[in-house]
Amino acid sequence: MNDVTSLERIQSWVESEGWAAILAALLLVVVGVSPARAESPEDFFRQNCASCHTIGGGRLVGPDLKNVGQRQEGEWLVGFILNPQARINSGDPYAQQLLDEARGVVMPTVPGISRARAEALLTMIAEQSAMERSEFAGSKISDRPFTEDDVRMGREIFIGRNRLAAGGPACASCHTVNGLGGLSGGRLGPDLTKVYERIGSRPALAAWLQGPATTTMRPVFAGHPLSDDEILSLVAFFENAARAADDDSTVPLLNFFLMGLLGTALALAILDGIWRRRFRAVRRPLVDAS
Amino acid sequence: MEAGQTYLDEMLFAVLPYIALALFFLVSIQRYRAQRFTYSSLSSQFLENQRHFWALVPFHYGILTVLTGHVIGLLIPRQVLAFNGVPLRLYILEGTALVFGLLTVVGLVAILVRRWVFVKARTVTSPSDWVLYGLLLVQAVSGVYIAVIHPWGSSWFAAAASPYLWSIARLNPEINYVVALPWAVQLHIVNAFVVIGFFPFTRLVHILVIPNQYLWRRTQVVRWNWSPHSRRLPR
Repeated sequence: MNDVTSLERIQSWVESEGWAAILAALLLVVVGVSPARAESPEDFFRQNCASCHTIGGGRLVGPDLKNVGQRQEGEWLVGFILNPQARINSGDPYAQQLLDEARGVVMPTVPGISRARAEALLTMIAEQSAMERSEFAGSKISDRPFTEDDVRMGREIFIGRNRLAAGGPACASCHTVNGLGGLSGGRLGPDLTKVYERIGSRPALAAWLQGPATTTMRPVFAGHPLSDDEILSLVAFFENAARAADDDSTVPLLNFFLMGLLGTALALAILDGIWRRRFRAVRRPLVDAS
Repeated sequence: MEAGQTYLDEMLFAVLPYIALALFFLVSIQRYRAQRFTYSSLSSQFLENQRHFWALVPFHYGILTVLTGHVIGLLIPRQVLAFNGVPLRLYILEGTALVFGLLTVVGLVAILVRRWVFVKARTVTSPSDWVLYGLLLVQAVSGVYIAVIHPWGSSWFAAAASPYLWSIARLNPEINYVVALPWAVQLHIVNAFVVIGFFPFTRLVHILVIPNQYLWRRTQVVRWNWSPHSRRLPR
């Protein structure tokens, strides 16, 4: 009986102070939201930087960072890392030179970067630069010539018919490439037809695929990295696709939309057929009489 | 907060969902306790039912199917991705989803036209109804826009939206999944949470009290005590 009375007391409190109770609960929920994580500079570099930079392994999309601290002042580098676009826009000549060398690819602002993290990264890069061979000295992707089998396998992986071993989603979920056929691939992310040319080289594209670093792809692939074999096949596929002819990529979109409209008209006709006797019976006389 | 995410992102994708969910649960319960007789969707079918058919039927079949699709993507994302691995299956799934999305839009437009044009229906339409119809229209139109302009949603929902929504459920929102998505997708997500938060203040509460037993109860016989051919009610 005691339970019932205390429950009743809560009920009556909620009834009398209903809105106060709701607001209090809301506040509790909002205050409770605060994520925090810690990462070593090496892990951070692997996840966010290694897709475009090596330390002593040569240029990828971005420059080789070996001894970067001797080429530019620390404070400049920290500022650039925190907001590359702003530094480029400011008309800084060195930033412009970097942009030209990267063939116009702007370094994105890395999610999770902060002044402290940037400084820790520069310290780590200086340490790695002093080593004979840094652990970030480049990819282990084979440089044997691509075969037709590589291209075909890459295409199967891209479409998703051949699933990624670690469980990542197929490329075609969000990306398309010319000549894919059917209704083509996805269009949440950019068209990848010319990605091989944009990124510039096999090691650069391979490194990028080892840890995709864009804001959206990073979390999606963080727990599902691509294997070296998968990367090799995909790079072969992209290298092949970049040589494919241009075609009007809006045609599949239009076809898809028109098919949707047709299907909708058909569905409406079916619904009309199913309920064709709908105005008889009970309601119609009532409506007419009102 | 991490750099690259703005304060607004944090508000929209990490705070708003919790406000919406809290409002949904607390106000729904409170309204059921305090104003039980308002817990329905006030019927307007006795006012007229010619136009009503083209509003009611496409809308409900459309939205229920599309919502079910979202829930499936949330619950079994890996299976959805595996299913979509064959392009033909993906295209059939997406085409079907688009048709039901378009049915939802057709139904909603018919609802709005009928509620506005037909005076008897307009009279029983409350301000909360109008706001709700507006929100639902934004949601349905943005959904169709995304389906056409940013395919293939069934795949990338499973890959990116599903883990984002689960991160909310785990009370550790990982907004990196969504902060860089196209504006239409972000609008769709934010508006969805607005609808969830606004839900208990609207006629949508009828979803919580659908008389499911109508599906299996015995049929009721309705008899008229006048000639059905006269088509007139006794005055």
